Amino acid sequence: MKTWPIVLTLVLVAGCGGTPTQKPAGKAEIQLWQQKFTDQEDAWYKKAVSAFNASQDKVVLKHTIVPADAWEQKMKAAQAAGKAPDIYTLNYNKVPGFARTGQIQPLDKLIAADRWAGLQKEVLGSVEYKGAKYAYPMLVEPSAVLFYRKDLFAKAGLDPNRPPATWDELVQYGKRLTTKDVSGLVTAGVAVDMAWSTWGLQWNAAGHLPISDDWSAPQAADPQYKQLLQAYQTLYKEGIMPKQPLAPYADANPMGQGKAAMMVCGSWAAGVLLSDYPKMVADIAAAPLPSFDGDATKPTATLGGWTLVVDAKSKSPQPAADFVSWLLAGDTTLLVDFFKTTRFSKYSPRDVVAQAVKNDPAAAENVWAKTIEDKIVAYAKPEPTYDFAISLAFGKAIEKALQGKDIDTALSEADAEIKSVIAKNNLAGQGS
Amino acid sequence: MRRRRDTGVALLMLGPLLVLLGIFVLWPLLHAVWISFSTWSFYEAPVFVGLENYVNVLTDEEFSASVMRGLAFSAMVVPTQVVIAFVFANLVKSVSGRVATVLKVTIYIPVVVSEVIAAIVFSLIYAYKGGLLNWFLGLLGAGEDTAWLGETATALPAVAVPAIWIGTGLASLIMLAGLLDIPEVYYECASLDGAGAWTKMTRITLPLMKNIILFLLVTGFAASLQFLVVPLVMTQGGPLDSTMLPNLFIFRHFTNDLYVGYSIAAALLLFVVLGAISAIIFRLVRSEKAVDG
Amino acid sequence: MLRYPLAALFVVATLFPLAWTAVAGFKSKTEVVATPFQFFPEVWQWDNYSRMLADEAFLRSLGVTFAGAVLFAALSLVVNSLGAYVFARLEFAFKRTLWVIVLTTMFVPAIAIMLTSFIVVTQLGMLDSLTVLVIPGAASGAQVFFLRQYYLGLPTALEEAAQLDGAGPWKIFTRIFVPLSKGAFVVVGATSFLAFWNSYIWPVLTITDPSLFQVQQYLATFRSDRTSEMALLMAGSTLAALPVIVLFLIFQRQIIAGVRLSGLK
Repeated sequence: MKTWPIVLTLVLVAGCGGTPTQKPAGKAEIQLWQQKFTDQEDAWYKKAVSAFNASQDKVVLKHTIVPADAWEQKMKAAQAAGKAPDIYTLNYNKVPGFARTGQIQPLDKLIAADRWAGLQKEVLGSVEYKGAKYAYPMLVEPSAVLFYRKDLFAKAGLDPNRPPATWDELVQYGKRLTTKDVSGLVTAGVAVDMAWSTWGLQWNAAGHLPISDDWSAPQAADPQYKQLLQAYQTLYKEGIMPKQPLAPYADANPMGQGKAAMMVCGSWAAGVLLSDYPKMVADIAAAPLPSFDGDATKPTATLGGWTLVVDAKSKSPQPAADFVSWLLAGDTTLLVDFFKTTRFSKYSPRDVVAQAVKNDPAAAENVWAKTIEDKIVAYAKPEPTYDFAISLAFGKAIEKALQGKDIDTALSEADAEIKSVIAKNNLAGQGS
Repeated sequence: MRRRRDTGVALLMLGPLLVLLGIFVLWPLLHAVWISFSTWSFYEAPVFVGLENYVNVLTDEEFSASVMRGLAFSAMVVPTQVVIAFVFANLVKSVSGRVATVLKVTIYIPVVVSEVIAAIVFSLIYAYKGGLLNWFLGLLGAGEDTAWLGETATALPAVAVPAIWIGTGLASLIMLAGLLDIPEVYYECASLDGAGAWTKMTRITLPLMKNIILFLLVTGFAASLQFLVVPLVMTQGGPLDSTMLPNLFIFRHFTNDLYVGYSIAAALLLFVVLGAISAIIFRLVRSEKAVDG
Repeated sequence: MLRYPLAALFVVATLFPLAWTAVAGFKSKTEVVATPFQFFPEVWQWDNYSRMLADEAFLRSLGVTFAGAVLFAALSLVVNSLGAYVFARLEFAFKRTLWVIVLTTMFVPAIAIMLTSFIVVTQLGMLDSLTVLVIPGAASGAQVFFLRQYYLGLPTALEEAAQLDGAGPWKIFTRIFVPLSKGAFVVVGATSFLAFWNSYIWPVLTITDPSLFQVQQYLATFRSDRTSEMALLMAGSTLAALPVIVLFLIFQRQIIAGVRLSGLK
């Protein structure tokens, strides 16, 4: 019978490991989960949370940073057990789906109407579902910016102030810029990354996304898409794009390390380049990706980014929404500080904040911000909100083209797959 | 030995095991089976859909393709692991004491490195431009660089290498143990009868190691079919799904789907595949076992 | 003689990634993933290691994980060895059914029961405590299987003598089997310890209190989608591997002896 005391002791010892949760009497506790971003952003959230806790004495806000690669597991587990946080960060493209399945609650009633004034209309549109607003927008980032090396352009006999204006030019330039150690153009190379990073180009090539607006029919077989797949196929076949990705699409390090003469990445790349590769900044310029028909007013990127939402089962929806409103819709000082911290590589969808950020004397440090805002953000589309499986089907089609498969077949297979996703998930009529 | 039935005391001693497995594995498993029969997003009331999730999974060519790919992957990883372990064990036995000690200690090292770090290191080894492998092959006179992770033909074997690397340590030690357990006297007798190294290997070593090899096959198979982190970090399943292993496929659905029924049904089907194939291997272990169970 | 070159190859192949990780900890943030591949840094920087060693949260995560891993290994040894003994030596009702059930748990994919086992630990109020890390995974079909095979290989003479003296199963287990299991216990314990040490997703799900962060969970705070603190991550991973390596060196002899006695054949 000797073992039982051991088991008991172990259980008891282990049980004592937990620290009692500190909850001052009388104050409700609400939870904020934030996906892990850069250290600077995480530090900003921390600062904001303690400022909020100091600003009022009704609730205590607890803040948790969740690793990005474990976010889905942690969130789904918490939701399954009824333990989801009151407030959390969410991408624009997920808002309508979460609203449709009842995971988040409408904020119209919780955040006063005047607090919604001065938000960009398109951005506001992407947080709406059936006429109600389900998320408060925090920032937008264009998904695709063409960063290029002026010094390498000059070395290759190209005009550093004239970025490629057509896809033919992009291919030609890429060819001339490719050397043994440097890739002419670095961009997404696997289906998962191409699925979302080419949303802007999907708009650009065909004037629509590969599914009809009401999500009832696939549109991937549109012959207009052939030019998009053809461009990728050429870039890969000619060795202009690296034969295997140097890093995930969202990672800007290949340009910083001098491995790319041109690189397509989101506007956040600017933050990384400014912080980690200050010596390279003077040699790098930004431009929009070319349009397939040369019309520079067509979209080449979508506006991704983050919002805050309130969980549908939150026991304290009003205090939770109050925090969202306090952080994002109130005083602009803290927010301006956020955009400053992130090196002006993101954009506020709220006019007053955007103005204040623009007027900040430090804004000039991001030498690409103006180009990105005027030439990319101005024409960009909001992110599509359908299931990721739709985007992935199209990403796979581009990957097939990359791998030398027949383009027509790739597109018709994507079309068929999207059709089956629509049927399996009853998507018809859900879009707007 | 006289066998008597000790049901009472047996169940008491089994208590902790059965209680823990019951609460933390079996109950969750039954609950998961229940969930797999419904459409559930945690917020709407679950809708009972019968076998719909299973039908969706089984008619999804990508799922069956991922399972077949997983089996191919296991076929690359597990036998290689066993062969390396076997070579290693024989090597340790045949070298001097100090070298043997160094070998025994280092073989465990890969287990200490987390899978994420291993995946990062191997990605750098496979890098297209300036990667270690291409540099090395260049030294040997290979003309053109190979995009190891960028081509459908090489990606799966390239991902298999770290898998082998991670799992070989434990397999090698168990193999070594089995080898050292074979009484030296068998080999001496065989030598007296004039048997060569090959005969000793095929007539003594391999037959006596059969159960260990089968044990390693079962556990290695179960582990390799559930491989996730390495392909996730190294290739995200690409190119063209050539490294989309079954667990990665399920993981992808788990993270992207609004409802969890599909991914849980797929995971339970993978469980069935694992169980069925393992049952066959177990039967083999059982029939060969020297000691009565 | 091919033997010694082959041995050298083994050592290099097994050590290379860890050695590279350790050296990468001396590189600058952006140098770690730089190509062309470079083993040694341009300039050796102690910064990453000294930062990690001065990082209280990291050191605490090492301590908490170590304590948890020891408890976990101990608990799984008790639970699984008792089970293994019973399946190896006792006769009882439903033995075969129970044995098949225990074995089957080896093959349950983690992702299948991730949500539902999280629901269980939530309902039991175990979140944010060491219990949720130590108890749920302690019972293991694979370990029971391993130990049972070992017990099947032990001679029965000793316990028959004890039985004649009137010793029951408890006494036989604690007085005869446990002392004989030292080597096997070290192997099983080391495997549990390591599984606990490298676990990542389960701690992320169940632990939100930073004072209980596990080491892999803490190291993950250096990774993100867009840019990672690679050099710190490498230094941290090396430091996190050290205690385990030291432990292996200490138990090295028993590990080898332990497997040697495993009686798997």
